Amino acid sequence: MSRRAPTVWIVLSALALALLVVFLVWPLFNLLASSFATGKGTGQTGWARFFSDAKYLTAVGNTLILGVIVTASSTVIGVTLAYVTARFNFPLKALVAILPLTTLIVPEVIAAQTWLMLLGNNGIVTRSLGNYGIDLPSFYGWPGLIIVMTFIYYTYVYIGTLAAIKGFDAQLEEAAQSLGTSPGRSVLHVMIPVVMPAILASSLLVFTLVVGNFAVATLLGHKVLLLSVLTYITFNSEMGSDPIMQSTLASVSIFIVAVTLFVQRWVVGRKRHEITQGRGAAPTRLTGLRSALLAGAASLVVLISVLPLLTLVVGAFTLTRGPVMYWGQFSFASIERMLISAPDPLLNSLRFAATATAIGIGFSVIVSYLVVKKKNFLTPAIDYLAMLPLAISGTVLGIGLVITFNTGFLAMTGTASIIVAAYVIRRMPFGVRNASSTLYNIPSSIEEASISLGVPPVATFFKVVLPVMAPAIAAAAVITWTTTVAELSASVVVYSAGLETAPIQIFRLIDTGLTGRASAYGLALVVMIIAPIVVATRFFKIDLFQSR
Amino acid sequence: MTRIDIERLTVSYGAAAVIDGLSVEIPAGCFFTLLGPSGCGKTTLLRTIAGFAQATGGVLRFDGADMTHVPAHERGIGMVFQDYALFPDKTVFDNVAYGLRARKIDKKTIATKVGAYLERVGMGAYAARYPAALSGGQRQRVALARALVVEPRVLLMDEPLSNLDAKLRIQIRESIADLQREVGITTVFVTHDQEEALAVSDRIALMNRGRIEQLGAPEEIYGRPLTAYVADFIGAANLIDVTLVEAANAQGQARVRLQDVELLVAANGQGVGNSTCIAARPEDLRLAEAEARAANGVRGVVERRRYLGNRVTYRVKLANGQPITVDEPGRSGGRREGQTVTVMFDPAATMLVAR
Ligand SMILES: Nc1ncnc2c1ncn2[C@@H]1O[C@H](COP(=O)(O)OP(=O)(O)O)[C@@H](O)[C@H]1O
Ligand SMILES: [Mg+2]
Repeated sequence: MSRRAPTVWIVLSALALALLVVFLVWPLFNLLASSFATGKGTGQTGWARFFSDAKYLTAVGNTLILGVIVTASSTVIGVTLAYVTARFNFPLKALVAILPLTTLIVPEVIAAQTWLMLLGNNGIVTRSLGNYGIDLPSFYGWPGLIIVMTFIYYTYVYIGTLAAIKGFDAQLEEAAQSLGTSPGRSVLHVMIPVVMPAILASSLLVFTLVVGNFAVATLLGHKVLLLSVLTYITFNSEMGSDPIMQSTLASVSIFIVAVTLFVQRWVVGRKRHEITQGRGAAPTRLTGLRSALLAGAASLVVLISVLPLLTLVVGAFTLTRGPVMYWGQFSFASIERMLISAPDPLLNSLRFAATATAIGIGFSVIVSYLVVKKKNFLTPAIDYLAMLPLAISGTVLGIGLVITFNTGFLAMTGTASIIVAAYVIRRMPFGVRNASSTLYNIPSSIEEASISLGVPPVATFFKVVLPVMAPAIAAAAVITWTTTVAELSASVVVYSAGLETAPIQIFRLIDTGLTGRASAYGLALVVMIIAPIVVATRFFKIDLFQSR
Repeated sequence: MTRIDIERLTVSYGAAAVIDGLSVEIPAGCFFTLLGPSGCGKTTLLRTIAGFAQATGGVLRFDGADMTHVPAHERGIGMVFQDYALFPDKTVFDNVAYGLRARKIDKKTIATKVGAYLERVGMGAYAARYPAALSGGQRQRVALARALVVEPRVLLMDEPLSNLDAKLRIQIRESIADLQREVGITTVFVTHDQEEALAVSDRIALMNRGRIEQLGAPEEIYGRPLTAYVADFIGAANLIDVTLVEAANAQGQARVRLQDVELLVAANGQGVGNSTCIAARPEDLRLAEAEARAANGVRGVVERRRYLGNRVTYRVKLANGQPITVDEPGRSGGRREGQTVTVMFDPAATMLVAR
């Protein structure tokens, strides 16, 4: 590099690092520091109270148990479905292909809400079965938590495993069979070890998501104490008076997720097999009873996954009076009311998510470019910090931001900027990962070709690198948009009156039992999520999952 | 046309010097080739000339002007890469026009120039295509046009033929050589392929561990290797340890002892006591009947005979176990395996070399 050019990149690196330190490291540091402070009233540190009060330990225990159960059930469903779709052809198989989209399209808060509309105390299914004298056990607590989370998170395992199975060279398996192993054993001994790292990686991801889950945990947990709920309650009810305990609980959550991610890295790093490029196995066409069974089972999974969406649409157009829903009687009242008298949450969501997407993608592209193409003594730290939000749940991040930016030279609490900051930070790892993987595939030689032709390095970035990255950036922007517009757990912590977003509004409406009105906002939210996806894939032919 | 001067250039990554105090002068208009095994520092040297790698010591000059710390985009270089490095989102035309547009040249001139250079590399019909729709050879032709159209001071090429198959490699190689001569541009060409280097270069610098081992015209490098390393890298040479009996005489010949006989060899400018090694190319050796008491011959046994159509290759083992490869022209090589023969050394083509 020339003498002048590195300074540009070093300055940019220093700037990026400074931003990460201010908005990420500092809040986290504040959290940890505050958990070790001694409370004025209690005379104890947060940790002393944490270990002496059974409530807290129970919450941690429950969270871990829930994490293990949901991870296990999601893995069973996800892996089975992936194997079946990769290796067999059966009727209705095309339906399974839409699965990855459902998690993207249906925000967790809506999934929780719609399951309640079906199976909650006032749910359609609960009611109609009750009319026949059949009493379902309460959906609140463990059953609801496990079922809803499983059907939200199994798609992560499904997507991860499917990619691995498709990349797995079926010839290896055939080789094993030709050496005299039975087909069943060859799957066990040859394919599983190769695909295992992908399965483990996605399972552990699910575990971290369960630990950090806020929406489902709060709406369905009821008497089951969970860490994320307790953290939020501690924050919400005792704001200002007991920041020590909330910091302690947040630190515990960080610790659990950090350990999980560490294990994930270790497992994946140790067990990575070189998958030789080869043909994937051609799917076997099934007929008769087996095919019917498979089609039935797969469709059932798909149906359950899209059920929230159907319920939501119906609910939005159902006549309501207060919390009561008159199923079967259609009405535009909820929609009208939302659009005419209270459209603010929708507008807020649009504004905040659009701003956050623009900032987040811009930042991700610059950071990735520095980390991948302009390595210097600052970039390893940047790389590490950009991935750090993966280890922090939304609730924890929100609390960190609030206690840090409440006062001082950056008093953002009470403004929209803190919501946007929370959005940007939470989604940054995905944006950076996405942009990096694209950049790794762009040879440095095209930049050097441009420079050799007389175009300075920075101009080269805009003229050569950016255009090549454009499709990937567009895909990343759409994904970032869909996930920020649905964000709840951090924004519900940092928002203040008048700045409600759609998910926050939905959450509050459900909390007060106004399911019909919540459905209207839910539908609007889903439309806001789907519209860019449709535009991107239909009109611009962008492959949203290309670099995943 | 630009002359390149490199003086005591050092390039280091960390503690290790990849280019180690290298000095060389590349004359204006010269087709100059950096040749050497993988890892010897060819790419690093080329990238330092381009400005993509920074010299940690020494000076680089273009026509006397210090370029050592001038940014790459201000050096006026044209570059051709092994992986073509075409811009995938731009058409062939836009690729070639890229450098001209950066120079703010008017549209008409750009169109004329791009057209002319595409024609020159035989790609005139492909202007509207995208790189993905071209073969490797076509891509490299476009890359060549893109580098030359801006009329750079020097043309730098890093293994531009390595990704092509054998037949194309020769075709493109000839195109490059023709075009270079036509344009007369100073060119630095990197390759690890000795035949490529011999075919196109005005001068070859054979590199070894960050230094130039020998510099010269292809004929000198091949015909007068000064070190065993050069003799071995270019062409297949028999390297035979000998004892020096008498240093260079008036005819430039030295006398050496190999087993029980004395041989006359070319002293090759080697000083006394400098060397105890001779290099002889298989095609410069001949086999004679064992009984023939010819001068400059050493006895050995034919260990292996390989018939190759236009020549026969023998491996002969000397009494001390030293194997020697001999290529005899003609279609009917008459020696049998196991036969005792005399290997005849040509005093003019057998070189005393430094180990
Ligand atoms: N960016 C780098 N960092 C550290 N070492 C390098 C770097 N680039 C090249 N090297 C080392 O420098 C030596 C010469 O490399 P290179 O110039 O690419 O050789 P060649 O082109 O002759 O194969 C090699 O040993 C290589 O490992
Ligand atoms: Mg090289």
